[in-house]
Amino acid sequence: MAIRIDYLAKETGNNLVRNPTLTAATVLTVSVSLALLGTALLISEGVSNLETHFKGDVEFIVWMDPSATDENVEVVRNFLDDSEAVRSQEWIDKEATFEQFQEFFADRPEILDLVDPDQLPPSFAVVPEFPDLALIRAIGADIEAFPGVSGVDYEEEFIKQLNTLSSRLSRIMIIAALLSAVASALLMYNTIRTGLFARRREIEVMRLVGATKWFIRIPFMLEGLLQGVIGAIFAAIAVFGLNKAIASSLAEMRDFQLFQNFALPNGEVLEVVVIIGVAGAVLGFVMAGVAVTKYLDA
Amino acid sequence: MIKLENVTKTYPQQVQHALVHASVDINKGEFVFLVGPSGSGKSTFLRLLNKQEEPDEGQIYVAGKDIGQMSSWKVPMLRRNIGAIFQDFKLLPTKTVAENVAFALEVIGRPRSVIRAQVPAICDLVGLADKMSKYPDQLSGGEQQRVSIARAFVNRPLILLADEPTGNLDPQTSIGIMRLLDRINKTGTTVVMASHDRGIVDTMRRRVIELADGQIIRDEARGVYE
Repeated sequence: MAIRIDYLAKETGNNLVRNPTLTAATVLTVSVSLALLGTALLISEGVSNLETHFKGDVEFIVWMDPSATDENVEVVRNFLDDSEAVRSQEWIDKEATFEQFQEFFADRPEILDLVDPDQLPPSFAVVPEFPDLALIRAIGADIEAFPGVSGVDYEEEFIKQLNTLSSRLSRIMIIAALLSAVASALLMYNTIRTGLFARRREIEVMRLVGATKWFIRIPFMLEGLLQGVIGAIFAAIAVFGLNKAIASSLAEMRDFQLFQNFALPNGEVLEVVVIIGVAGAVLGFVMAGVAVTKYLDA
Repeated sequence: MIKLENVTKTYPQQVQHALVHASVDINKGEFVFLVGPSGSGKSTFLRLLNKQEEPDEGQIYVAGKDIGQMSSWKVPMLRRNIGAIFQDFKLLPTKTVAENVAFALEVIGRPRSVIRAQVPAICDLVGLADKMSKYPDQLSGGEQQRVSIARAFVNRPLILLADEPTGNLDPQTSIGIMRLLDRINKTGTTVVMASHDRGIVDTMRRRVIELADGQIIRDEARGVYE
């Protein structure tokens, strides 16, 4: 049976504004829980971005000049191989570096166009024998003196701590997001139930004159869906804003010259926003469905 | 049109039956009164016919279909063929007369052109053409019952169920309502009406089915209340 679009729009709209305080409370709770979820996802994605380079046990990276000669490279390689303090090293040539670049800038092709693989710096990813910061520093300083070496990046203690801290933080946020998601689910359920109660006379008449089950249900389920989506929109705005703030504070961090632009690219934020949106819509639709099933089909 | 075969209904947590082994046959176009004291099973009888209640035993046929075998998604279609009016009218206070009537068509997905044509016609039929934009609380009891009749009849049902439709009305107003129901009956609509109103039943002289403690104790054509 056809349901007229204008009827649906009118009924769903009426339901939403019928009890503005309850609707506002629901939408706000939903947006808080989705914003928490989004932030947790942002952090874990950001951390995994950082770790893409410092993955495994790599403690520091020796960057070579793009123009360094094979001889320069050989000297550094020999030094690393001979050093008692170095457990292993891996040579990352220009092609491999370019592949990393392509991965990082996958959603910003305009930047990829500007990059000539030949101008990218090759590097050694080095795993030291001992996690002794002073020793690593000393080796780094020695290597920096070699010709053809442009610099050394360390995964210093604070980065590790940042990693641990942020993964803990995102775990806590996911728990908080889950708890507030439960709260918003219950609120949604109650909002729909209140709406059903407010409209019980209309629903009684609708049943008497032969409206179908879905004709009665759909406006309420759409109401739940809309509450979820509106909450998700607020959450998305918050997540975008937060990402901007993180990006600008990252830009001030000297040690992450390579990361500052793509720690949290827009594409990844968009992914997070899509997850938030789907979560909000599903949450609203399902809770409204539960409420109408419980109170209409009984 | 309506056939009950050995129908028994008991409500949960009640020892006494609401309806016991009731068998009735009502033809198309008949006007039937259900009489009997409160709690004798009149309302249950009516509620079974449009599947607001399910019988514990027995078969109920409406328009040739065994409604006990009917799948739940077909129940709305059954109800579109059965209008219902009540003692308390069940009008929506936030809607005007015209909107209350239009609501019945709207929620079964009738196109707007049909609604625009049907609503004024039915309001005219029940004598409320000049009150279409009034709200229920601006109308008298009799006028409100006319609105509910218009709503029940706008979809041209085969059957009209009336549960004490004059229970809240004074005798003079009740006569007007009965004239209207009579007119609807004359269009071929089967009317089943539960009533306490001795005066009305005795004046109309139609078929009377008397219930007591859920049992049919009398069924006579052109009967009186007694």
